[in-house]
Amino acid sequence: METIQDKQRPSHLNSVSGGRRKPLHGVASFFRHPATPFLLPAVIFLFTLTIYPFVYSVISSFLNFSLTNPRPPTFAGLGNYLSLFADNLFSVAVLNTGLITVASVVIEFLIGFCMAHLFIAIADLKGSQLLRTIYILPMMVTPVVVGLLWSYILEPLFGVMNYLLSIVGVAPQPWFSDANTALWSVIFVNVWEWSPFMMLICTAALVSIPRDLYEAARIDGARWFQTVMKVELPLVRSTVLVGIIFRVIDNFRMFDIIFATTRGGPGRATEVISLFAYRQIFQYFNAGYGAAAAVVVFLIAMIFGTVAAKLLPREIHHA
Amino acid sequence: MPLAAIAASASGQAIDWQTELKKADGKTLRIIMIQDPWVKAFDTIDQDFQKITGASVVVDSYSYDDLHEKEVLNGNSKSDAYDIIVLDSPWVGEFQQGGYVENLKAYLDKDAKILQWDDFVPTFRQVADWKGSIVGIPFGAYFVLFNYRTDLFKDAGLNPPKTIDDLKDAAKTFTKNSKFPGVYGIGMNNQRGAAVGQAFFEYIFNFGGKPFASMYPGSPDPYADMTPEFNSPECIAVVQFFKDLVQYEPPGALNMAWDQRANAFATGRLSMACLWSVREPILSDPNRSKVDGKFGTLVFPTNNGKSVPPLGGWVMGINTSSKQKDLAWDYIKWFTSQEIHKKFVLLGGPPSRLSTMQDPEVLKKSPWIQTVYESQSQTFADCRPRIPESFQIIDKVGLHVSEALQGQVSIPDAMKQVNEEVAALLKKAGYKVSETTQP
Repeated sequence: METIQDKQRPSHLNSVSGGRRKPLHGVASFFRHPATPFLLPAVIFLFTLTIYPFVYSVISSFLNFSLTNPRPPTFAGLGNYLSLFADNLFSVAVLNTGLITVASVVIEFLIGFCMAHLFIAIADLKGSQLLRTIYILPMMVTPVVVGLLWSYILEPLFGVMNYLLSIVGVAPQPWFSDANTALWSVIFVNVWEWSPFMMLICTAALVSIPRDLYEAARIDGARWFQTVMKVELPLVRSTVLVGIIFRVIDNFRMFDIIFATTRGGPGRATEVISLFAYRQIFQYFNAGYGAAAAVVVFLIAMIFGTVAAKLLPREIHHA
Repeated sequence: MPLAAIAASASGQAIDWQTELKKADGKTLRIIMIQDPWVKAFDTIDQDFQKITGASVVVDSYSYDDLHEKEVLNGNSKSDAYDIIVLDSPWVGEFQQGGYVENLKAYLDKDAKILQWDDFVPTFRQVADWKGSIVGIPFGAYFVLFNYRTDLFKDAGLNPPKTIDDLKDAAKTFTKNSKFPGVYGIGMNNQRGAAVGQAFFEYIFNFGGKPFASMYPGSPDPYADMTPEFNSPECIAVVQFFKDLVQYEPPGALNMAWDQRANAFATGRLSMACLWSVREPILSDPNRSKVDGKFGTLVFPTNNGKSVPPLGGWVMGINTSSKQKDLAWDYIKWFTSQEIHKKFVLLGGPPSRLSTMQDPEVLKKSPWIQTVYESQSQTFADCRPRIPESFQIIDKVGLHVSEALQGQVSIPDAMKQVNEEVAALLKKAGYKVSETTQP
């Protein structure tokens, strides 16, 4: 027997409300859902620009697929992946990517945390807002422009940095052109650009700590180091972890700064996975092999993201 | 072709372009090319083409790697976004085999009198020809010239070097010499990738070596036997020479590429540099160079008796997928004709015709073109391989030589690695590669 409410309810809602009519499933239910017209543009966007290219990349990674070969691609099975793991250059790229990621994120956090403290301490001073705006400017600049900018500043013969060092009697440094300094120069540029992001995250987390906790710590005789370790870090952990996840994933995809400064050199000193994949696909046109490298980047980022998400406190998951 | 135009061309008179070129009012011709210093000359010259035909010309220029990437992707997707494709000599085989550009042989035969094909540098004509197919018409031939500071060599009482060993000695003289403060001996292309990879091919024939078994000047078929010989004593000597020179180069030498090397010479910081001839107009421009009037050019030095100056440069091809092939050909035959080519060279373009290289007006404005003329007869069309795999081969050489220069691996180990990787690549691509890669 139909209730009055059932009669009054528009028929298309019955299928999703658990009414007595046979509920629709899958595609049919999606197209009859009242929210569908609103969701459709986003779904089309997501499918065209994210899902389809990703699925295409995964399929390509299992093919002998050369962009310059007019013959259709052939199935390679796991061949591209096996070649990839036997490729010494790829191993170096994975190691370099890991090193850049770990070093950059740790330094960015340390600088960001200290700068957040500084800006909170001087918040009442006139001009502090302006200083903070200036400090976050680097993260608003396109990474490739940042790379070019620093390649000029650190240019060994004509660059400003070596000129300044020469004034204080320091010999010119090779920066990007020596295998011992190139990777650290890249990390420096990366940190210069992104530590403001970590500062913003840390500031947001620090200002949300109740003041009475600081007072309690002070009454208990805690020194600044103990306050940082026992009060601040536990309370900013969840917010900062979100920032760290973003930055780790960003660093795994790092391309622009290295492309603009060292192109992976000297030798293989700054080779990273994204550059390796780019070279395979767009310079050698080995689309299958390059796609396999891109899929590995995705898998590493996904595994890290999943593990990190598990580390987030329960309240973040429910938020 | 109208008889009047043929007669005019043959007698060296100006061609009547109004009758020679078809009207194309309202049409737009699109060209994709390299972002080299002479690109702005197109803006001036193309106005004349527009006046004659009514068609406007749009030139899109990109950096070297980007250009290669865009042209190959355009070719693969059969895009008609560009009508004229400007391509570098090592890409000739790749573009012909990929079907990205038209065979211009029939066009060339039709307009032989206008083109005066025999007037182009002979080896550059070979560069444009891949297995009997004319891939493009030459317009931008490059030669590596040896540049040296005449004032510094005079002060040091030295003669400019003719051999590579002399060059090394001269580099030592000018480095950290209190008589020449702030000056370094030489600047080389040491940057990882195409920069140092191409540098290797520039020197190998001048050390008496060869990269592949049958690739050497005078070879009847440079691609007959592609067994790599990168671990030969001559190839190892080239890399050792690069490494020995680092101590005479400016700080940051191991990341130096074409632009930095030319800029360092133009700002007076180098006593010598072997530069592609396309940079010479900049060195002679007092607004952009501190060495204007203080440098001379010579044919590329050699340790092998007769120099083999490196040859490169650009040809204009017609996109196979273009819908305006006749208009594209009209532009190419007009632009590469003797008359317009001379205008192009006077505006800073690279000379590619023998008549232009000997033209008194051209030589008066750019005396270095005399060295280009002397170099052209000694060049080798396949000084860099022109097969589809050449980009990857040069990059592999560039990676391992860079590692050797950094001291990350020994030179013999680096070259052994190059040999193995290139042999595997060429075998997979179906070339003849002998099992024994050690000569």
